[in-house]
Amino acid sequence: MKLKVYADRMSQPSRAILIFCKVNGIDFEEIKVELSKRQHLSPEFRAINPLGQVPAIVDGRFKLFESHAILIYLASAFPGVADHWYPADLSRRARIHSVLDWHHQNLRRGAAGFVLNTVLAPLLGLPLNQQAAAEAEKILISSLTKLENIWLKGNGKYLLGGLRPSIADLSLVCEIMQLELLNGKDRDRILGPHKKVLQWIESTRNATRPHFDEVHKILYMLKTKLSEQQSNQADSVMESRIRTPLTSKM
Amino acid sequence: MMMEKLKVYADRMSQPSRAVLIFCRLNGIGFVEIKVDISKGHHLSSEFTEVNPLQKVPAIVHGSFNLSESHAILVYLNSAFPGIADHWYPSDIFRRAKINSVMDWHHSNLRNGAVSYVINTVLGPATGRTLNPKTAAEAEKVLFSSLSNLEDIWLYGDGRFLLGGSQPSIADLSMVCELMQLEVLDEKDRSRILSPYKKVLQWIDDTRASTNPHFEEVHNILYRAKKKFEQQCSRIAETQTKPSDKIGGHSKM
Ligand SMILES: N[C@@H](CCC(=O)N[C@@H](CS)C(=O)NCC(=O)O)C(=O)O
Ligand SMILES: N[C@@H](CCC(=O)N[C@@H](CS)C(=O)NCC(=O)O)C(=O)O
Repeated sequence: MKLKVYADRMSQPSRAILIFCKVNGIDFEEIKVELSKRQHLSPEFRAINPLGQVPAIVDGRFKLFESHAILIYLASAFPGVADHWYPADLSRRARIHSVLDWHHQNLRRGAAGFVLNTVLAPLLGLPLNQQAAAEAEKILISSLTKLENIWLKGNGKYLLGGLRPSIADLSLVCEIMQLELLNGKDRDRILGPHKKVLQWIESTRNATRPHFDEVHKILYMLKTKLSEQQSNQADSVMESRIRTPLTSKM
Repeated sequence: MMMEKLKVYADRMSQPSRAVLIFCRLNGIGFVEIKVDISKGHHLSSEFTEVNPLQKVPAIVHGSFNLSESHAILVYLNSAFPGIADHWYPSDIFRRAKINSVMDWHHSNLRNGAVSYVINTVLGPATGRTLNPKTAAEAEKVLFSSLSNLEDIWLYGDGRFLLGGSQPSIADLSMVCELMQLEVLDEKDRSRILSPYKKVLQWIDDTRASTNPHFEEVHNILYRAKKKFEQQCSRIAETQTKPSDKIGGHSKM
């Protein structure tokens, strides 16, 4: 039976799995679980992942969730995945685990928290929380600084001095890609100072083309929608400014 | 040439440090424990920053190889040292994948909830932070939902350990060490939080029993800290009753 990947392309870890499968020619079926339609809470999906989160996979009778664990499983279970994705060498593999473990409470927490509380919340029917955004921004900036100075140290183009991308590069770059949803000013303020990080995003994208761009398309579409909304809002702010002096004259 | 002994940089007040120390002792791995006292800022020293630029414990140095993040360390030790029983990190690809999955889940759930709750109800002042009741309330939610998930999802089947295991894995060790920090809460609060989760309580006991005497030895520091906090609490309680006595006295005058 073909591998099944349960994913919502709006979710960073889902995108990482989809790109990985495509880049490595793993034959799979993508099953869409739309979070915005609350499909992750359906009994059918709960039977796959009782925690109700994407991504999840089913390979024959085997079910698995948590994107890092899935990437490691796929790299081990499917022949023909090149060694650089998840090196057999003990110390290189250990370092990849280390950066993947670090990801959870640092880059992911910062990036997901910031994007949620500056742009995404209203789309999900949640309030924007400025204090949470400020806290997430701190974690995000500190994580980017650590990426720049510690994880991307050395001459390699990839994490841990790698010459070719690993599952950690793919996972972390997909995480950062959600910053595309911010307005241009915020994005530049946050990412701009981190030159190595910017270069590394480009390298990872180039190494995984055309799949990287194809799977991220949904993000660019949402970005366009969001910026249209913003300019509409800006228009209505202008209108009310114009109107206010009129009323005050009356 | 013999490789230098493994060095483990740890603060026994840190859950992931304790997990790594217990694992080494249990499996007869020869190592030197190097204390990094976080409360004294030793994790910020230049010597330790050489070892782990992220300035977090635990970290290890093995020959010329250094590594941080407790899960990565546990996985590494399993492969780097011969003779470690397979149940700790099974070579079977499916069992291994499930252990990776629960350890990934740990970070943003059980760890996130437990650490933040303990810091914002008890430990904060000891590390120069103020107690934040709002953050504590949020952390409590994450902690409860993590405990329910442990009880209903991760501790399935007849096995005594996570994922239906009949023997402990590195995931059991890591997560039970995480939960042990709830020991520093006052007894009422600890029991309010843990007592609804019968399987979790049984699992803590089973993991402790299968890793003793090392488990208790490495946790001693926590029991001592608990006593200290209890004394502090009773002192706070005393000072809180004194002024009200005075007010009572005044009003009589
Ligand atoms: N650590 C998990 C994170 C999974 C996760 O947070 N998924 C989100 C989408 S990005 C989700 O399904 N959220 C729905 C929910 O939590 O209700 C992984 O890497 O797979
Ligand atoms: N995910 C890491 C967590 C490491 C961590 O948070 N360590 C804490 C002690 S439990 C620390 O070193 N804190 C020092 C600080 O506060 O900067 C692991 O599992 O090793």
